[in-house]
Amino acid sequence: MNKTISISRYNPEQDSQPQLQTYQVVSEHSTSVLDALLQVQQQDPSLSLRWSCRMAICGSCGVMINGIPKLGCKTFVRDYPEQLVISPLAHFAVEKDLIVDMSPFLQHLSAVKPYLINAEKSLQPHKQTPAQLAKYQQFANCINCGLCYSACPQFGLNPEFIGPAAITLAQRYNLDSRDQGKAVRMPQLNSKNGVWACTFVGFCSEVCPKKVDPAAAVNQGKVASASDFIISMFTP
Amino acid sequence: MPDPKSASTAYKPVMSRHWWLQHRYFQLYMLREATVLPLLFFIICLLYGLFSLSQGEVQWQSWLTFMATPWVVLLNLLAFSASLYHAKTFFELFPRVMPLAPAALMIVAQWLATFIVAAGLILLLGGWL
Amino acid sequence: MTPFTEPPKRSDEPIWWALFSAGGVCFAVLMPGSILALALLPALGLTSADSLNYARVSALLYQALYGMAGLAFVGGVICLPLFHTAHRIQHGLHDLKLGGGLLSKICCYGLAAFASAIAIGLLLAGQLQ
Ligand code: FES
Repeated sequence: MNKTISISRYNPEQDSQPQLQTYQVVSEHSTSVLDALLQVQQQDPSLSLRWSCRMAICGSCGVMINGIPKLGCKTFVRDYPEQLVISPLAHFAVEKDLIVDMSPFLQHLSAVKPYLINAEKSLQPHKQTPAQLAKYQQFANCINCGLCYSACPQFGLNPEFIGPAAITLAQRYNLDSRDQGKAVRMPQLNSKNGVWACTFVGFCSEVCPKKVDPAAAVNQGKVASASDFIISMFTP
Repeated sequence: MPDPKSASTAYKPVMSRHWWLQHRYFQLYMLREATVLPLLFFIICLLYGLFSLSQGEVQWQSWLTFMATPWVVLLNLLAFSASLYHAKTFFELFPRVMPLAPAALMIVAQWLATFIVAAGLILLLGGWL
Repeated sequence: MTPFTEPPKRSDEPIWWALFSAGGVCFAVLMPGSILALALLPALGLTSADSLNYARVSALLYQALYGMAGLAFVGGVICLPLFHTAHRIQHGLHDLKLGGGLLSKICCYGLAAFASAIAIGLLLAGQLQ
């Protein structure tokens, strides 16, 4: 079946802003939006996009589909019988066509020190009970695709907001029984660009392809930050 | 730092203040935030009532008349609907912020609290208690 | 873009967020019943006659439970919801790119505190009479 799709094109050397261009693709039952984009790239090799795994693991194929952030490889053309408009992820600078500059996102991720911090030097493995694992497991499923940032109006309004994925990752390590790094992560969460920039819009959790529920993590982070605030009042 | 090479040529989108009109999800978010506007009206009515009560019986009576004016009733009806919509969103979000029990159970328990409080207030202030 | 080298300043939002959350609970749990019992039912004549008369309401607000009932009512139905409202307006102004900075913050929470003080003052004045 032939299908017309619109793709936002931007060539930094010629254009002052992105503009939509339409293409014809052949769509079958199993054609994903990423497949459609790759068909277009066959017709017009100048089209730039990111992708790798084709199976919702690598998190590199995020785009806006009819204005909603989605993974191209996890979204089917058949679900869009009307129009299908593909544009680059919102709230990020567009480098070319569907490629955005993800460096602010990566920087925010690294700001929360997303790794186990533990001074203890032991060669024994750290044991963890299923209950201890359950505390953070859901928040560990993030694939760093950045869809939640494009879904977040607070990040759009304030690019310094450390954002859903980074705060979720901070919570993921703070809740891990093997970790001792909470004290060094909390200052980022406690700031006005940390958890307090969030107003629980909740769209981040709607678009998350891995059902991580970043909005819950951020708002549990508010409870953690508020307790931290109270503790700080009683400690010099 | 954004990549310095791309920083000059990259297209930087700017968010318009109408962003929330573009998607139903955001419209409902704004509706949730706006529930405080009719609430504010009801609170102002109460402040006026508190003042009237302190002024004595005549002023209190005129507050009761004011509260029965059609436009006031209409705005308070709006405040009532707003409080229910706020309650719905608040009760659904709360179990995600503090997952103390299964979400469905927490939601039911919170609605139950609202109903019990409402019944109590109606019985007490309606003169049946 | 701030390079994340130094730890950022601690925000004072926990204070406002705590008041906002407490007010949100009141808005969801106390408000539907309060609006029904104080605004809608009496205005529509659905209460037992004269249940909101001056003597009865002043007794409830000024004397019941040594005045504690009145204080709880003013705190739960006026003061905390006022801070809830202030918080949502403050963040809503930021959402609409109309404010959200220090000035609107001072206005929002300042007005909430001012109105709360008036409400408590009116109540205490009545209780002390
Ligand atoms: S290509 Fe890897 S997530 Fe889509």
